[in-house]
Amino acid sequence: MRLNGRQFARYSRHLLMDDIGVDGQHRLFNSHVLVVGMGGLGCPVTLYLAAAGIGRLSICDADIVAESNLHRQILYRDADCGRLKVDCARRALKDVNPDLMVDTHAEPVSAEILSGDYQLVLDCSDNLAARSLLNHHCRARRLPLISASATGWEGQLMAFDFERQQSPCFNCSIDPSSPEGRADCDTQGVVGPVLGVIGSQQATMAMAMLLGYGHPHGQLQRYDGKAGQWMNFKLQANPNCDLCAPFRRC
Amino acid sequence: MIKLLFFGRLGDSAATAPELFEASEGLTPSAVRYALAIEHPRLVEALLEPQVLVSIDRVIADWNQPLTDGCELAFLPPVTGG
Repeated sequence: MRLNGRQFARYSRHLLMDDIGVDGQHRLFNSHVLVVGMGGLGCPVTLYLAAAGIGRLSICDADIVAESNLHRQILYRDADCGRLKVDCARRALKDVNPDLMVDTHAEPVSAEILSGDYQLVLDCSDNLAARSLLNHHCRARRLPLISASATGWEGQLMAFDFERQQSPCFNCSIDPSSPEGRADCDTQGVVGPVLGVIGSQQATMAMAMLLGYGHPHGQLQRYDGKAGQWMNFKLQANPNCDLCAPFRRC
Repeated sequence: MIKLLFFGRLGDSAATAPELFEASEGLTPSAVRYALAIEHPRLVEALLEPQVLVSIDRVIADWNQPLTDGCELAFLPPVTGG
């Protein structure tokens, strides 16, 4: 796909940048990103990626919009309550950028959905089972994965560049068989803008990866909104990880 | 001595916890966690929650990794929502 005159105007602030330019904008146009979870993180992530000119988004969420979502899930409006999130999100994202292609999956993420031709997978889900499934498939297919989460005033991101054989994976640090944590948005609440901070950072990392700038991977980035503090931690490949240790021995 | 850091909401529960912990031979993050939980009841639930992560000198570590004198030990509460 080539830029037309209208698109030159639309993306002019990207085109001015030496490290994006016309080639980078074409690269974004030709990208296909899977976003799993269209809640508090999926909303800001997809809004920024749609506006930025990503060519195609596949969005996956089985839920309907509830009134308790509206303080933080910024794609949805009062009248959307009771409707499928992916349908409401598709309409809102197409309003932002009519050129965007949006595929919707109103079901939990599955191996079939993960078999698509994506350049990048964004984990915006809210449960360990989905995160483990994404990690497993992305590791096996060597697809980059950016996993994010938030609760209360806190959020975190982990980026995995599985094209690098020695990359750690999600399961290296978090045992997928451990009990589901009690600290989710339904039990502990969450501050809406914290999801905006983490979602914006996830979208920034996504663009950097898609443009070939290899955002720092193998890192855990933690944000404490109450203290206004970011802290970075290095993730180590676990030599006993059931999932990824065999790959690293190859 | 080992410098203790309680990130995010763990910091709220750790208001009365020490900032330093006496280093000893074979000490691990797991042993520090249980010692803190015994001494500081407010920390029990927060520290023993599933999926709490621990880092040593800003590297995510195993709970049984040996600690060295002068290191920083950080506890990170789980964040699972999306």
